[in-house]
Amino acid sequence: MTAARAQLETLLRARKLDVTLTSAAPWAARDAAPTGIAQIDDALGGGLARGHLSEIVGSRSSGRTSVICRILAAAAERGEAVALIDTCDRFDPACAEAAGVDLSTLLWVRDTGDAARALKAMNLVLQAGGFGIVAFDLADVHAIAMRQFPYTTWMRIARVIEGSQTAAVIVGAERIARSPGGVTIALDAPASRARGRWSGAADRARLLRGVDIQPRIVGAR
Amino acid sequence: MYIPSYDDLTPSIPDITPGETFAHVRRILPQDHGPVVAGVGAPAGAASAQLFACLRSSRTPDALVPIARDFSPRLERHGSASVVLDVGGLGRLLGDPQTIGTELQRAAAACSSQIRVAIAETQTAARLLAIGNAALTVACGDVAAAVAPLPIDTLRLFLDDDQAPLDKARPANAARIKATATRLDTFRRWGLTTLGEIAALPLTDLSERMGQLGVMLQQLASGADRAPLVPDPGIPRFMQSMELEWPIDALEPLSFVLARLLDPLSAALERADRGAAALRLDLRLVDRTMHQRVLQLPAAMRDPKVLRTLLLLDLESHPPSTAIDIVTIEIDPAPARIVQYSLLERAMPSPETLATLTARLSALVGETRCGSPALLDTWRPDAFEICRFMPEPRTANREPRTANREPRTANRDALVMRRFRPPVAVRVTVDRGRPARVFIDRRGMPGGHVLQAAGPWRTSGAWWKAAPDAPWDRDEWDVALSDGSICRLFRDRLGECWFLDGVLD
Repeated sequence: MTAARAQLETLLRARKLDVTLTSAAPWAARDAAPTGIAQIDDALGGGLARGHLSEIVGSRSSGRTSVICRILAAAAERGEAVALIDTCDRFDPACAEAAGVDLSTLLWVRDTGDAARALKAMNLVLQAGGFGIVAFDLADVHAIAMRQFPYTTWMRIARVIEGSQTAAVIVGAERIARSPGGVTIALDAPASRARGRWSGAADRARLLRGVDIQPRIVGAR
Repeated sequence: MYIPSYDDLTPSIPDITPGETFAHVRRILPQDHGPVVAGVGAPAGAASAQLFACLRSSRTPDALVPIARDFSPRLERHGSASVVLDVGGLGRLLGDPQTIGTELQRAAAACSSQIRVAIAETQTAARLLAIGNAALTVACGDVAAAVAPLPIDTLRLFLDDDQAPLDKARPANAARIKATATRLDTFRRWGLTTLGEIAALPLTDLSERMGQLGVMLQQLASGADRAPLVPDPGIPRFMQSMELEWPIDALEPLSFVLARLLDPLSAALERADRGAAALRLDLRLVDRTMHQRVLQLPAAMRDPKVLRTLLLLDLESHPPSTAIDIVTIEIDPAPARIVQYSLLERAMPSPETLATLTARLSALVGETRCGSPALLDTWRPDAFEICRFMPEPRTANREPRTANREPRTANRDALVMRRFRPPVAVRVTVDRGRPARVFIDRRGMPGGHVLQAAGPWRTSGAWWKAAPDAPWDRDEWDVALSDGSICRLFRDRLGECWFLDGVLD
């Protein structure tokens, strides 16, 4: 039974009909886009799957933007063009450059909070092709606006990039969508009450050193 | 350059029959019949093989080249005021040099009465005669005698035309111009007033006193050419126009018209190995006004579908006010792109793809809201500009693009902020000089007790400037709130208000 199922899945993959399979191909056979974060890359077996839609979810100050900046920086180091569809115009170029993002290879699309329009922009960028990473920032979009997207929206997005060299990433506050070959990187809140890494005991000497990132991979097979 | 026709020769030379070889014709042709040169051209006597015309006008220089091109494709510009054209082959078409000159003068007079015309067997003589004589001058034969009566100032103007395109800031050019002027002044001090007197100077003595520059001036004064005519390749115009039978007031039917205009233009560009650097679209509307759009393309391209898409997307953003009568497209050509792909580097999106994508995104979100960010050389918070997105393949020599500033060092653990534009006004309770509680009156925004705080970090600037470069003066705080968020607050010291700058994420 297991052998017959494996043979059937192999046949479906050979004919590129494997998007609805509940099991995924071995990682070794996939082209991955490293994220630049060793912990995530190790867990994903190399990085984000190209040709698939993944997502990074977490609450405010959980390190979502830091992770996406690291992914964009790693792509720029590989010489890839990257795009960021910024639904609520939250991206800060100065911080991103300080984090290693090469701004000259970044296409930044700034919307004013209209998620539907940003989704159209995302679709245009994906259809144009040629980008290594396309990030779609929906982190500050209200949940009601998110629910207004038809369910087929994300299937269509996944279909657009299927087989391409682009890894699409959605950044959100809660799980939104991912393609069967994609992953969900959940950033958990730290146990301590006050987030962040702080130094200095005295008030005047205190410094914020960074944001703790605790990634947890959901759905990597 | 002329081979006599059978009808011309048979009355006097009955031995020539149709189909005779050129060598046979040369053998039996009488010596007094004039020279016979292989090729096609005018009969000797009608116009010689070497014949040049000069058009000169210092007031309407733009009109010279079109007039000259109507007569000959072989033309050379000298400065902005003179054009020399080779009219050696026009004898068969127009007649003798005098007739050629008359035709040139008539064409010139139709454009401007200020254009002077001269014809001579050397370029130099034609140019000198055009400078010296306002009326049509035709000099066939001894060109030195023709230019001899001209004053020395003619030679000065001649040299000014040649020196006009030179970069006078370069020391070598400046020295040469100064040396030439000095030699002409020397001629004047010697009491010479005409070019004929300069031409009559003994060559050896002149060379000893003035060097090669003096010899060069004497050659010019005698009307001799120092270099052959170098034809101007010219820039062909890539323009198509269509007058519509019915006015068009929608973009969809216009797209078919644009396709009909762009297809032949694209083919012409391909034949000339050129691409479009800029597209100029002129729409004449039914109310007799013009709607003009100019698209600067990021790279030379000639795919008609891409060009049509770009024009349509631009017209979507900038539609004409009323229906369209006449559509005209003109393309500024540029050398075509030569692309060498690498097996080792990841391919970037092509310029055509990026141009189309950028145009579509601009139409969707606005022109200033998509592109590549570039930081400005200032400490003002959130100072950046949006540039055209043109990624370059990664090479060892490529430096990151910065807007007149030093690139900053990357730090993997740098704090990354989600910035609010504009900053959100907040209410902050301050305890012993430090923020203790943050209130925001908007749903979904961070707020609560301050668990940790670092600051204040004071930054200010532009206090010497007026609006729109408004001054800023603020104290920044990094605070961890009880709702789990880490925020950057600042107190505006000019307005004594607190703002939420962003959330550190």
